[in-house]
Amino acid sequence: MTLQSNTDGVREIEAAAAPSRFARGWHCLGLTKEFGDGKPHAVHAFGRKLVVFRSGDGEINALDGYCRHMGGDLTEGEVKGDEIACPFHDWRWGGDGRCKRVPYSKRTPRLARTTKWTTLEQDGMLFVWNDPQGNPPPTEVTIPRIEGATSDEWTDWHWYTTIVNTNCREIIDNVVDMAHFFYIHGSLPTHFKNIFEGQVATQYMNSAGRPDLGGTEGARMLGTTSVASYYGPSFMIDDLTYHYEDADHQTVLINCHYPIDANSFVLQYGIIVKKSDFLPDELAMQTAISLGDFVKLGFEQDVAIWKNKTRIDNPLLVEEDGPVYQLRRWYQQFYVDVADVQPDMVDRFEFELDTTRPYEAWMKEVEANIAAQPASAGSV
Amino acid sequence: MTPLDIRVRADNRLDDMPMMPVACRHCGASVQVRKSSWNQTSVQWTAEALACCEERCAAAQLVPCGGRGLFLGCSSLTESIVDAVRAGTLPLVNDGAASPS
Repeated sequence: MTLQSNTDGVREIEAAAAPSRFARGWHCLGLTKEFGDGKPHAVHAFGRKLVVFRSGDGEINALDGYCRHMGGDLTEGEVKGDEIACPFHDWRWGGDGRCKRVPYSKRTPRLARTTKWTTLEQDGMLFVWNDPQGNPPPTEVTIPRIEGATSDEWTDWHWYTTIVNTNCREIIDNVVDMAHFFYIHGSLPTHFKNIFEGQVATQYMNSAGRPDLGGTEGARMLGTTSVASYYGPSFMIDDLTYHYEDADHQTVLINCHYPIDANSFVLQYGIIVKKSDFLPDELAMQTAISLGDFVKLGFEQDVAIWKNKTRIDNPLLVEEDGPVYQLRRWYQQFYVDVADVQPDMVDRFEFELDTTRPYEAWMKEVEANIAAQPASAGSV
Repeated sequence: MTPLDIRVRADNRLDDMPMMPVACRHCGASVQVRKSSWNQTSVQWTAEALACCEERCAAAQLVPCGGRGLFLGCSSLTESIVDAVRAGTLPLVNDGAASPS
C-alpha cells in the first residue's frame, strides 16, 4: 500500500498565511500578582496594546492601551480611583471601557467607549476573554478550577514567560504529535490517546524514562503519566505525575499562550507540586523549580525547531502519527464566527495510537546509545 | 479582519483507508471508525450518536457542570468495533498484525 496517491508528482508544502484574526476564548495573561499592584501594565496581545490595571474597587481591568481622545498611551498613565488616567490630558477611563471624566471639561462624552476585555481572576492567574465578535464569555466555556492551586498541600506556582516568534498553531500541534516527544524531548511514549470534544482537546500520554540520557531529570525518572487538556484555544491543564523509584511526584503543569500578533506569541508555563512525606514544604518547592527547569528545557527544544521550520497545511502523515488534521479542524472553531462553527469542529473524536512499532524502533536506539556510552566515556 | 475561511485539508491517510460506519450493538449509535491496527482506532462521533450512548449519559451525570470529568470511551462500542473487524466488515490498515487474544 502506498502512502501517497500521487506517486509521480512532487509533493509540495502548502501553507496559507497565518490568520490575521485572533482566537475566540479565554487567554491567560500570567499570574495575578504581576498585574495587581495598582499600576498600569502594558500587554501586547491580539495585534494590539492593552492596558491592564487593578482599579480602586479591587477589580483587574483590561482596556485598549490608547486613549480615544488624542491617542495617548494609557499604559504610561496612572490609576486614579477606579479609573485609568491618560498621561496626555488626564482623561479618565473606567474598567467598563467608558469615558468617566475629562477633568478640564464641563461635559464628559459619556457614550464614548473603548475596547475592553472581560477579565477573570482564578487560581492565582489572570485571564481575558477575547472575541472578535465582541460577545461576552458564555458560561459553558469557562476555565476549570485547579484545586491544588489554592491548597496548602501544594506549592505556589513556579512560572515562566517567554516570547516565541512563530504563529501559535505550532504549539497546538503538539497535542497530537506523539513522535516529537521522543525526538525533541527525550521521552519515550508508551501510551498515547487523543479526545477532542466541544472546546476541549485532550492528550493522554504515558511515557517511560530514558536511561540513555545520562545526568538529566529524564534519566532519573521511571516515567510519567499525563492527562493534558486544552480548555479553549490557548489554556492547557496537564495533570502530570512523575514516577521515581522511591515515590511519585504529583504535579499540575499549565501550558498557555496568548498571541502578540499573527507571527508571535507569549508562551507561559507554570507548575505546582503536591507536598507529601517525601516532599515536605521546602523540598516540594525545590522540586517544582527543578521540574519547571526540566519543562523549560523541553519548550526550548520546541522553540529551536519552530524557529527554523516552515508552516505546513498539508503534513504528510504515516499511520504512527497522531490526528493532526482532526486537531486543526477542532482548532478552527475558535477562528470563525460562532454562527459558522461546523459540527465536525466540535463533534467528539477519539484516537488511540498503537505505540508498539514506534516503541520497538526507539528502544533499539536507546539500547544502542547505552552500548555506546562506556566507549565514549573512556575516550574522554 | 478576514475570517479564516480556508477549510482544513483532508488527512492523507484517508486515501489508503477511509472512515467506515460501525453501529453500536448496545444502543445502535452509528459512528465512523478507522482501524490502523488492532491497537489503533479512530472514532468520529456525531451529536446524535453521542446522545444515544448510555455509558456516555451515565458518565455525564457524574460530572458537575464545568468540571474536568473526561469520558474515555464506550466499552460497548469498543466491543462492537472488534466484532466488526472479526466479521470482516471493518478492515485493518496494517493487516497481518496478530489479533488480540
